[in-house]
Amino acid sequence: MRLRPFARSSIARVAVLHALLLAASMMAVLGVVYLWTARIIASEGDELVSVEAQSISADFREKDLDAFVTEVVDRAEDPWIRGGIYEMRGPRGDFLAGNVVVLPELHADRDGWVEFDVDVVHGEASAPRRIRGRVLNLDGGFHVLVGHDVEDRLAFRAVMLRSLAWALLMVILFGALGGWWLGRRISQAAQSITESAGRIARGDLGERLPVSGSGDEIDALVSRFNDLLGRVDTLTGTMRAVLDSTAHDLRGHLNRIRAAAQDAHHTAQDPAQVESTGIVLAEIDRLSETLQGLLRIAVAESGTAPLDRVDLSQLARDLVEFYEPVVCADQLTSTLEPDLHVRGHRQLLTQAISNLLDNAIKYGGTAPIRVVLTRDGTTAVLAVEDGGIGIPEDERELAVQRFRRLRGSSGLPGTGLGLSLVSAVARLHQATLKLEDANPGLRAALRIPLEP
Amino acid sequence: MKILLVEDDRRASDYLTKGLRELGHAVEQSFDGETGRMTALAGGFDVLILDRMLPKLDGLEIVKALRNAGSTVPILILSALDEVDERVQGLRAGGDDYLSKPYHLEELAARIDALARRQGDAAPSGRLKVADLELDTRARKVTRAGRKIELTAREFQLLEFLMRHTGQVVTRTMILEGVWDYHFDPKTNVIDVHISRLRQAIDKGHDVQLLHTIRGAGYTLTDDP
Repeated sequence: MRLRPFARSSIARVAVLHALLLAASMMAVLGVVYLWTARIIASEGDELVSVEAQSISADFREKDLDAFVTEVVDRAEDPWIRGGIYEMRGPRGDFLAGNVVVLPELHADRDGWVEFDVDVVHGEASAPRRIRGRVLNLDGGFHVLVGHDVEDRLAFRAVMLRSLAWALLMVILFGALGGWWLGRRISQAAQSITESAGRIARGDLGERLPVSGSGDEIDALVSRFNDLLGRVDTLTGTMRAVLDSTAHDLRGHLNRIRAAAQDAHHTAQDPAQVESTGIVLAEIDRLSETLQGLLRIAVAESGTAPLDRVDLSQLARDLVEFYEPVVCADQLTSTLEPDLHVRGHRQLLTQAISNLLDNAIKYGGTAPIRVVLTRDGTTAVLAVEDGGIGIPEDERELAVQRFRRLRGSSGLPGTGLGLSLVSAVARLHQATLKLEDANPGLRAALRIPLEP
Repeated sequence: MKILLVEDDRRASDYLTKGLRELGHAVEQSFDGETGRMTALAGGFDVLILDRMLPKLDGLEIVKALRNAGSTVPILILSALDEVDERVQGLRAGGDDYLSKPYHLEELAARIDALARRQGDAAPSGRLKVADLELDTRARKVTRAGRKIELTAREFQLLEFLMRHTGQVVTRTMILEGVWDYHFDPKTNVIDVHISRLRQAIDKGHDVQLLHTIRGAGYTLTDDP
């Protein structure tokens, strides 16, 4: 399925949003894990050093100097105390014991903690290691450094950070992929629903929205919607059936009445009878015309009239040419853009535009009438302008209502259904009818969606 | 002219029959679809008038049955349904013309007349001639007494329509449908104006007038009114 640009952008939005949300929540979780782990490991190392420092301080108090130095040497060389760092200096800075030589350059922080790199010999290999420790200032000017190798801890932290970074990257990647898939699924569902709904709106009430069969919420929504459509379809069908049978019935009656009246008119001898039957016939014809108008409006409004591709330009050109002879010399001008096609009902569209022209001729006086057909984006705009009395702004809405006739039009022929039909036909075509001021006169504009 | 009228509305059928007989036609009546179909298939009619909705059988079914049996008899479909879409269905099924109720007797008479005569000159030659007025459909040329007459495309179509129905009455509705394919009443005298323009073009300056107005019915193009 080809997706429209808006659909593509909405998919991208969902994908990015999904990835960002996922990454953010993942970062929060992993960040907490990292911070806790790092803190636990750090505090474990520091605790070890603190405990050792206490033990050393205690030894210094309890033992004489020689024994203490031996103790420090022992500890420094004890292979069991892995990662233990010791250095002891005398009051004059002389090296007394230890497994590193760093003390003179060290500057402890306020709590007495130091951190430095040093080459530590382990067996034969020596490698720069990071050490964290404390410098103890003992009585008599002795200094003892008690430290611990934190290189492993750092390495662990680096590994952990690296893993976290990778995890985050994967999360963003999969998040984007998942979001794209999700967005595409929703967008496709939405688009196929939109397309079907468009066809339904154009009058194809037999159409149903597609059900994917996955039984998800969209499916549930769609099938509920389809049920609704089914009801509308049934109702419309019933309405059309009622309309048809009513039409059939009324026309049947009218036909019989007219035949009888015509027969009476034909056989009448008395001039008074001829006149009265003539009046009856004329009234029946008026009634038929009104009924015809109402039925056409009903057909247009039922949305059951079949639509085809219609060349609106040609249709307008023919109508202008058709009406041209009844208008005073050269008073009907037209500017028609060629090749504008719409999806429509040829007969009803023709009648609607004819009604507009008819109104312009009837109410426009002798002023010029202009018919303009233009393209406005994806819409065809057909406007009929006259220079007549126009319709006051507050009456324009009323003008399209059934049987509404304009003030001062009682002397003119008409059923009062002309603009109602135009407006019903407009709705059938998803078009709009707008009545505007042409200064002076009326501008009636139909905006009909173009068919590509 | 021998006409079969298939119409279930007995009262309407009787009035129509009476009216047609007064115009000099022989009319046979059928009151339901089944009988209508049998009578129609038996043949011998110049024109059939069929109601669209009949008991037992749809009027369109009779049309289809007749056309399947190879009958070319002209058929006028009468209907009480609005003609906007029904008309297309009726013509597609094989009907030749369509008239919706309530109809004027004059309109119906003019139409069956046109239908029956069309049968007579089924092969349309490229040239039509009424008195000294000649129209060549292929060269799209019109002459009166040998002099060329300039017409617009639509005037040409209108004249061609009238000449194809020469000697018959054509109603305004027939002209609207036949020349413009419009199926509504334009409410103005627009057809009259088109006719008078055409009359100016073909009759002006000639002693014999060819295009005549038949009051209350329509027009006819003939040199023998």
